[in-house]
Amino acid sequence: MSKIRDFMEDQFLIEFDETFPASSDLFKEGVMDSFGYIQLIRFLEEEFEIKFTEKEMTGGVMVSLEQIEQTVAQKTADRSTS
Amino acid sequence: MCGIVGISNPAISAEALTDDIQTMLAYIGHRGPDGAGYVVDNGFAMGSVRLAILDPASGVQPFTDKSGRFWLCYNGEIYNYRELKTTLEAAGCVFQTQCDTEVVLNAWITWGADCLRRFNGGFAFSLYDSETGDLFLARDRFGKRPLFYAKRGKSVLFASEMKAFLTFPDFAFEQDPAQLSSILGQWTPLPHQSGFQGIESLPMGQWLAVRNGNISTHTYTDLQFDTGPEVTSEAEALDLVRDRLTRSVELRLRSDVEVGVYLSGGVDSAIVATLAKDFSQKPLSTFSVEFEDTEFDETPEQRLVSEHLGTRHFSQRISHADIADSTPDAIYHAEMPAFRSAFIPMYLLSKRTQEEGIKVILSGEGADEAFLGYDLFKETRLREAWDRLPEDQRRSQLEKLYPHLSHYGPKDIAAVTGLYHQFSTEKMPGLFSHELRFQNGQFSARLLNDAAPPFEEILLYVAAQDGYANFSSVEKAQWLEYKTLLPGYLLSTQGERMSFSHGVENRCPFLDPDVFALATSINLKFDDGLTEKRLLREAFRGRLPDQIIDKRKFPYRAPDSAAFAARRPDYLDVLLSSGELSKIPFVNAKFAQRLANKVLTRPAGEISTKENQTFMYLLSICLLHRTFVLREGLQSPVLPPLQRAVNLTQTGKAHASQGNFSSLT
Repeated sequence: MSKIRDFMEDQFLIEFDETFPASSDLFKEGVMDSFGYIQLIRFLEEEFEIKFTEKEMTGGVMVSLEQIEQTVAQKTADRSTS
Repeated sequence: MCGIVGISNPAISAEALTDDIQTMLAYIGHRGPDGAGYVVDNGFAMGSVRLAILDPASGVQPFTDKSGRFWLCYNGEIYNYRELKTTLEAAGCVFQTQCDTEVVLNAWITWGADCLRRFNGGFAFSLYDSETGDLFLARDRFGKRPLFYAKRGKSVLFASEMKAFLTFPDFAFEQDPAQLSSILGQWTPLPHQSGFQGIESLPMGQWLAVRNGNISTHTYTDLQFDTGPEVTSEAEALDLVRDRLTRSVELRLRSDVEVGVYLSGGVDSAIVATLAKDFSQKPLSTFSVEFEDTEFDETPEQRLVSEHLGTRHFSQRISHADIADSTPDAIYHAEMPAFRSAFIPMYLLSKRTQEEGIKVILSGEGADEAFLGYDLFKETRLREAWDRLPEDQRRSQLEKLYPHLSHYGPKDIAAVTGLYHQFSTEKMPGLFSHELRFQNGQFSARLLNDAAPPFEEILLYVAAQDGYANFSSVEKAQWLEYKTLLPGYLLSTQGERMSFSHGVENRCPFLDPDVFALATSINLKFDDGLTEKRLLREAFRGRLPDQIIDKRKFPYRAPDSAAFAARRPDYLDVLLSSGELSKIPFVNAKFAQRLANKVLTRPAGEISTKENQTFMYLLSICLLHRTFVLREGLQSPVLPPLQRAVNLTQTGKAHASQGNFSSLT
């Protein structure tokens, strides 16, 4: 999962620490925009060999590193058990 | 009549002010290379530099009335001056010249500040009453011409451009981190903001009085969306669009020198050129920016319009190197942090225009704001309806919204749809329309250490506006555009600050009170707004090739960070060197350097809009710091030929001043 943190720190020019925790809303903090969000989704799908369904995509966005890591962990676990 | 400056300080003698007022004029000499003039009194001085456009022989400034009591320094044009002159003559005024300057002076003497509502034009002026010592400053309703002022101790300084304040060695330019946070957040300054501590911009539609050193400001007009005519059919709407725009162009062709047109390749400037040609006795001169980088180029459409109208066309080709090489000079003229590089080609285009002997140009600015040309307006309506729309409609409308952005394509549209869920309800009161755009500004504000909340100031600003809450969401979006992006960037940094850097005056037929009022009456009345500016286009179908009439809005942009990555100019040390960055304590050096390294080393396709934007802010803030705060690299200002110098203490018209004469600030 550190790959996600590294990608985001590099891509969005941020550093997660006590002043900017993994639970921070990346949209509210001005870190992420639509272009960045699409880049992130593409990275997650390629790196972790997962696929977000249309319903997942249109249903809402993942707003924090914490939420992204949880979602990816869940999807990779689902894949290995299926 | 294209730039004004002044000093009011009761403690300084006329003689002591003479040198200062000339130096101030020299700093804005580029605005009016044809001549300079000033008037000094005990405790007061003002002057103007002039680009002679109307009645070149007798319009020398400062201008006074027959009694010698009132003095006027005036920048701009009142396009309806002939009609006002007729009204004033009926009221007993006698005129000596054919110049609109004399009309402005007599209008003020006759009607006082009420005259401002009658003016249709772009202007800023200073008017001095030598009998009372009162000073009045005023600015046009859309903010076409600039006017900055600063209070320092007992003195009030004012100027068309802030660089005139460089005259005074003890005038310390200090960038204001709180204002910068606001500017970065909403992309441009609010109407009163200058970016520098202690310097105010006089907002559009306002006038100001200085009496005994005290400043009071007054609003004479503001945007109204309910003053247009009643229009009952689309056919009537199209007739009115043609009539009012034709009249607007006709008024703006009033000039004793040739008027050209800036052709962007879009429909707005093509309409302006079409109408201008109707009134021209000889081939119309048109000017365009042509980009080496084809992603930004609109040359085919520019040529199509030029050939269709038979204009004498001049195209200024712009390379990455041109942008990088001209940036420091263009930012010096802009005086404001900029979020795009697109103003820099306009700096070079005005140079070309001047070289071709044209002093006045018309352009299409203001059409998108009046006739709902921006995707922002469609986006506002879509987000407003979002929760009521079925999924397939959300997606299909979203796909049409920003076709020039690759991530709005079919491959990623599902993810973008999910993202829009977040923006279907208002989070910042009054700013719903701009909340998605302001995401980029939020990112840019990270350039500042301990930045003040970027939207605090604009939230207060809209909350203080009478009637704002009753506007529709699209009207609010328009209002915000008329108060931020249009005056704070398009008319200034990209508009008149660039054109006047080479002594060229720009005029905007779409920024006419009657045209604006009409647009408010017909927008969204005969269509759903999904085809932007549909009525404007249909009004001129048949006058221009369909390829132009039906051309989708193509945002005017230029290569941003890519130009600097390719050229790597020496001055980038301002943001790449830790030592240089440390001179600006409010800039977050670590973030700035990470950003700069990313945008200057990665392929352009990997750089997002907000990163390009933030890089341009960083570069412009650093260059403004170097030039204005540190005063490095300043060229010696040159005073245009002095045409008039008046010392009221020697004419018996001096104002009785008080106190001992001493230093300025």
